[in-house]
Amino acid sequence: MSVIEISNLTKTYGKARGINNISFTVEEGEIFGFIGPNGAGKSTTIRTLLGLIYPTGGSAKIFGKDCIKYGSEIKKEIGYLPSEVFYYENMKVLDLLKYSASFYKKDCSKRMHELADILDLDLSKKIDDLSLGNRKKVGIIQGLLHEPKLIILDEPTSGLDPLMQQKFFDLLTEENKKGATILFSSHILSEVQKLCDRVAIIKEGEIVTLEKISTLKESTYKKFKIETAVSLDKEYFQIKGVNDLEEDRGTATFLFKGNVNSIMKKIAAIDIVNIWIDEPDLEEIFMHYYEKED
Amino acid sequence: MNIFIYEWKSYRKSTLIWSLSLAGLTILLFSMFPAIAKDAEEFKRVLQGFPEPVRKAIGLEIDSIATILGFYSYVFLYVSLCGSIQAMNLGSSLLTKEIREKTADFLLTKPVTRKQVLTSKLLAAVVSLILTNIIFVTAANMMASIVKTESYSISAFILISVSLFLLQLIFLAIGVLVSVIVPRIKSVLSVSLGTVFGFFMVGIFGSAAGDEAMRYITPFKYFDPAYITNNSAYEPAFFTLGAGIILASISVVYYVYSKRDISI
Repeated sequence: MSVIEISNLTKTYGKARGINNISFTVEEGEIFGFIGPNGAGKSTTIRTLLGLIYPTGGSAKIFGKDCIKYGSEIKKEIGYLPSEVFYYENMKVLDLLKYSASFYKKDCSKRMHELADILDLDLSKKIDDLSLGNRKKVGIIQGLLHEPKLIILDEPTSGLDPLMQQKFFDLLTEENKKGATILFSSHILSEVQKLCDRVAIIKEGEIVTLEKISTLKESTYKKFKIETAVSLDKEYFQIKGVNDLEEDRGTATFLFKGNVNSIMKKIAAIDIVNIWIDEPDLEEIFMHYYEKED
Repeated sequence: MNIFIYEWKSYRKSTLIWSLSLAGLTILLFSMFPAIAKDAEEFKRVLQGFPEPVRKAIGLEIDSIATILGFYSYVFLYVSLCGSIQAMNLGSSLLTKEIREKTADFLLTKPVTRKQVLTSKLLAAVVSLILTNIIFVTAANMMASIVKTESYSISAFILISVSLFLLQLIFLAIGVLVSVIVPRIKSVLSVSLGTVFGFFMVGIFGSAAGDEAMRYITPFKYFDPAYITNNSAYEPAFFTLGAGIILASISVVYYVYSKRDISI
């Protein structure tokens, strides 16, 4: 069953940004990554799904129901964590979480305390006094305390330290195992890679590609930079899968795509001083997709 | 229901402050009444020295100033000004508060419709106004019975008092309307003070000029204490007009708010 079905969704704000004709589906039990640079339309898509803004064209369904028409009904089973967390100030964390829980017709207090323990959050503090990271935790707890079937996260990790990020990812994995579907938006490819099954890449309001993480990894380039003791024959690394080869006094740089073993053998055969292998950043993946389109 | 309770809690303090201020103002002004009533003739003579437009503008009626209802009408002009500011403030911050504090995302991603959110918030604001009115009317009634020199029409007194609530409802509705039409209000206080004082000044100039048509423009003139004193009733045309403004504003608010994009 598809939990989210987006078909030809369009939202325009006058002439400026927005999204154009977006279609994709998220299947039940999936962790779906939604990546793109800032301003690409990630938040616009998510806010449309949540009924915060209205589409100018197309439609979106959640749990098989139109997300505008049945908004309040489907939101019973949605947990949402916005990128910027601002909650009613002058309120204690516990009061805010209780207020949040009061919208769901079930007892959430047990889960609420569990989550607070896991994330190490002091419920008796005032929200005004919390640091950005701790506010984020409040956001995570209010999004998860009712054990939603669909979790929507809009750039959730900013402000969390690596340790907390790991705890948070563990939480999400756990929720996913219990059956929750997750839509995870981010501009950082690496965090999506760790967690997600499939990703959609969005740029300038359009879906550029939609692929399994495994396929995406295979089809992406790695950046190699190799320093050797002696100058190499210019053609030494010129094998299948190597692109943009450059050599300069004992330093070779190139992009490689394909079976890494073949290039590693080549490297092992020579005497090297140093080596750098980088994952391409998001921008480079975009470049890759643009090249494919042209 | 939970939104209503939360909203009401957030109004408790300001409701109390407004109620006590209105009651305090009323008590203070009423405490001057015995002195005026004692030297009524002399006081009237002093007032006669004022040009008529000025007297009309500030709501002084020489013939009735020394009676409880006449004096109350005069006091009431200023009470209604304060009350209107309270209501307009409530109204214009009702929805903009959520946008300013960026809590709209929190509230509207919960399983509630926008209509439910709006209704709960409006009810909480109305409850706040009702409480203010109860405290104010109690204080006014108490003072009037203490300082009275002769008996007066209780029903007219109550009708004048209740017109504060009606006036506040009108300004609450106008406030919410302004906030959905001008979504990014930077300073609620300046907008509400500006609007209320604007209408108040129109009322003053209208009275000074004796222009009947001006009465339709400003809600401050919809409930004329002199008419209420004489007839123990509201003027049907203005009562209907007030109700119409409230209904129309609230309908527009519901419509616009349901269709509105909540931007970050």
